[in-house]
Amino acid sequence: MRRYKTSYPISWRFMDVLEAAFALVLPRGGGRLTPYLLLTPAVLLVGTLAVGLLYIGDSSLRVLDRSTFLFSDYWTLENYQRAFSESFTATIIWRSLAGAVIVTAVTLLLAFPYAYVMVRTSSALLRKFLLVALFLPFFIGQVVRAYGWLIILGNQGIVNDALALVGVEPLRLLFNYPAVLFGLVQYMLPFGVLMLAPALTAIPEDIEAAATSLGANWVRALFHVVLPMARPGLIGAGVVVLTLSLTDFAMPAILGGGSQDFVANAIYDQFFRTSDQGFGASLTLILIAVGSMTVGLVFAVFGAGTLALGANRK
Amino acid sequence: MNFERKLNRRSILKASAAVGATGLASVSMPAVLRAAEPDKPSELIIRAWGGPWVEALKNGVSDPFTEKTGIRIIHDLTEDNEIQPKVWAAVAQNRTPPIHINWDTTTNATKSALRGVCEDLSDLSNLSGTTDLAKPVGVDGYPIVNTYGYVYVLAYRPEAFPDGPPKSYHDLLDPKFKGRIAFYNDGIGFHFPAQVAGGGTLEDIPGNMDACWEFVEKIKAQNPLLGEDPDFVTWFQRGEIDAACTISTNALGAKRSGVDIAWTVPEEGAKFDTDGLWIPKGHSESDLYWAREYINSALTQANQQVWLDGLGLPGVVPGLTPPEGLAGDPSYPTKPEDFERLIRISGQIQVENESEWFSKFKQIMQG
Repeated sequence: MRRYKTSYPISWRFMDVLEAAFALVLPRGGGRLTPYLLLTPAVLLVGTLAVGLLYIGDSSLRVLDRSTFLFSDYWTLENYQRAFSESFTATIIWRSLAGAVIVTAVTLLLAFPYAYVMVRTSSALLRKFLLVALFLPFFIGQVVRAYGWLIILGNQGIVNDALALVGVEPLRLLFNYPAVLFGLVQYMLPFGVLMLAPALTAIPEDIEAAATSLGANWVRALFHVVLPMARPGLIGAGVVVLTLSLTDFAMPAILGGGSQDFVANAIYDQFFRTSDQGFGASLTLILIAVGSMTVGLVFAVFGAGTLALGANRK
Repeated sequence: MNFERKLNRRSILKASAAVGATGLASVSMPAVLRAAEPDKPSELIIRAWGGPWVEALKNGVSDPFTEKTGIRIIHDLTEDNEIQPKVWAAVAQNRTPPIHINWDTTTNATKSALRGVCEDLSDLSNLSGTTDLAKPVGVDGYPIVNTYGYVYVLAYRPEAFPDGPPKSYHDLLDPKFKGRIAFYNDGIGFHFPAQVAGGGTLEDIPGNMDACWEFVEKIKAQNPLLGEDPDFVTWFQRGEIDAACTISTNALGAKRSGVDIAWTVPEEGAKFDTDGLWIPKGHSESDLYWAREYINSALTQANQQVWLDGLGLPGVVPGLTPPEGLAGDPSYPTKPEDFERLIRISGQIQVENESEWFSKFKQIMQG
């Protein structure tokens, strides 16, 4: 029988070569090791992170001697005592946490309709437009986007220029908490949409059609069918946006005008401004603890969503 | 004839030998001298502040140095605070530091000196021609060489002060300046005038700074903007602020870019401080030699004149001519009486307490 090129494409031949090479490298029966070998990069990555955390943990237990600017050679809990006794620490933790929760809620609220339209639209042009609009911000760094808002929202920015046309005096739109949250929502929206879109794609359109044909209007179908089925995606997107917002540095630094620091900004100050890496390390571990506990709480109340990787479906 | 010829030949040979020896000596002497200089590195990396700061250094010191030695100068614009832990880590791990010379605030540099990461610069030949300002206080020898002084002035937009320049920091408490004033985000430059403005004395620093913090609380109610050097220029340019406590160079930079801006030393006084140059330990002998030469060249009158004309700051070499418009300016103190309204607190007190002041300032402003 004649074999056509298309019946055995070149990509398959390439895979054959790879498989043969793999069989040469691995001993007989090595196939059982393949999954573990595939895990190696991830283990190395997590291992590096764990070693880094150990170093940070060690630093957090050493205090700075300001006569030599060297760290103590003994361990002490002084940095943690200081962190928990200063009201400033509570202020920035509360500000970061509250900001992360607000940003997550608003981002999900905006990301859901965006993702829904992108997934469900029958217009290829609209889908492409939404996809381009979604990915474009990824090519522009966070700092550049923040500076863009400085230009748009500044006293002599586009918004104030527009307001001036209708006789409104320039408004201070920047360097406050809402400005930081606004910048964060704009930054997080693509992440939210990207996490939600697969979950919405997995909801068969037929089910929505069935709900409608059984008499549900679109609001009831949304609340009783789509949203419950999109829950794993909402949780996954929520956790990603929450943790990224909680640990953000650039938006509070640039749009906050120096008065709306998050924990990451305080850590930066300790590491780089006051040379007190010990105290900075203690703040770092406190931030990790706050973030982990918050995510743990979300998982406990709502489940792990898409981050459970299908475990919930068993 | 033969004899004569012999003599002639001998004379000629002698003369040739003498000329040859002289020629050889004249060629080989500089070669010997050159041999005393270690090999030149292809480049030296100098950490610097950006904007008008690095331009001034390039024009005043780096370009003349390259012209003279052929060594290329690379300006690393990493923030001084960010380079510090990298340098400290490199020295601690016996690695080559990422920069050859750090252009640093004297307070920051003193921390590095106390940590023992700075090379000693005491035997730089041009130090003999400098004023007392070049000598760092509170450390042995010259681990840092101060290169100029600067004043944290009260910069303002004259348009916002139609009755004349602000006389005191209390003037900024006027409700019309709410959200229209700016300070450094750690309060640097403002702590000491605030101590006076709050009714305290400079002698109470660092033991009792309650007056300072009370006044900072009042300023906080004015919702000030808090930033870094480049922010002040930007904010003035964009009309975001009417007044700021900032280094005079930033105000001068804004003025040179066309912003209508002036500055003053208020009745509470203004902080006077210095910046300097230092070399981290861990470089090869040859790199160290040429890095020291670079700092030495920064102390010549010609180079100081160009460098500090760009910054609008008073140097550490006598006989410099103030830049146009800055003679007698409060931001350009040269005579003892010019320093009467300026506040100088010992470097040691600043190094030991600065982080506490920064934290307290942030605590109030962020609260």
